[in-house]
Amino acid sequence: MSEKQGLTVIVKTITRTILAIIFLYGFYIILHGHLSPGGGFGGGVVLALGFLSVLLAYGRPPVQKWLNIPVLHSVESSGPLLYVALGLLGIGAGGAFLLNTLGKGRLFDLWSSGFILPLNVVIGIKVGLSLFLAVWALTEWDPEKGDDI
Amino acid sequence: MIIYLLCFALFLIGLYGLITKRDLIKIILASGIMGYAANLMIVLFGYRRSGVYPILEKGKETAVMVDPLPQALVLTSIVIELGTTAMLVALTIKLFNKYKTFDISKIRRLRG
Repeated sequence: MSEKQGLTVIVKTITRTILAIIFLYGFYIILHGHLSPGGGFGGGVVLALGFLSVLLAYGRPPVQKWLNIPVLHSVESSGPLLYVALGLLGIGAGGAFLLNTLGKGRLFDLWSSGFILPLNVVIGIKVGLSLFLAVWALTEWDPEKGDDI
Repeated sequence: MIIYLLCFALFLIGLYGLITKRDLIKIILASGIMGYAANLMIVLFGYRRSGVYPILEKGKETAVMVDPLPQALVLTSIVIELGTTAMLVALTIKLFNKYKTFDISKIRRLRG
């Protein structure tokens, strides 16, 4: 990877180092959304900011090599479908949409909220990927090359 | 009462920027300020003096809580604002692509 693209080597090294911590924090917020402040949306934003830090530090072509953007598009688009499927499980069990068919567990445990935890995970993936892909689409245009979108 | 008036003043600052500025980036920022003022006002509607955050925790006494409903509403509002901003930025990129300027007084050839 050429040194011209992206920011300086200091920024690149620090981004490489803290990227795992950013993702860990995002997943922590998503998984503990029913216990503490946060949830699918907040954790998804943290995940998107992790991707965006790589995009800012390294530039577009290395990120294109690192990530499979069409697959990310597919995963992001299938998020609402997964949400609807989880909701239809409630109807399949003979109740209302989004009826809780899982056990409730003990209070203040990680597994204490039934459906809220899987729904938070779905929302987190959807929000994180869609925020990142929105900025990815906005950076598609190159001011050097001009008028060919 | 004064905090609501201050929110309205912040909203008017955004409106002033939206109307008077010529740079498209500044217009987008001004629309963001208007949205923030509206969000702040809605959150302040649910505020109660000396209230705690509305989350049940282990070993926490029940006390006067702030209203969580405006906060949930504002979360949705923030997402919609984000979508609006992204669309404005995309349109601005298109305009810059065509006219090579952010100055709205120089964007004239809108017909054809």
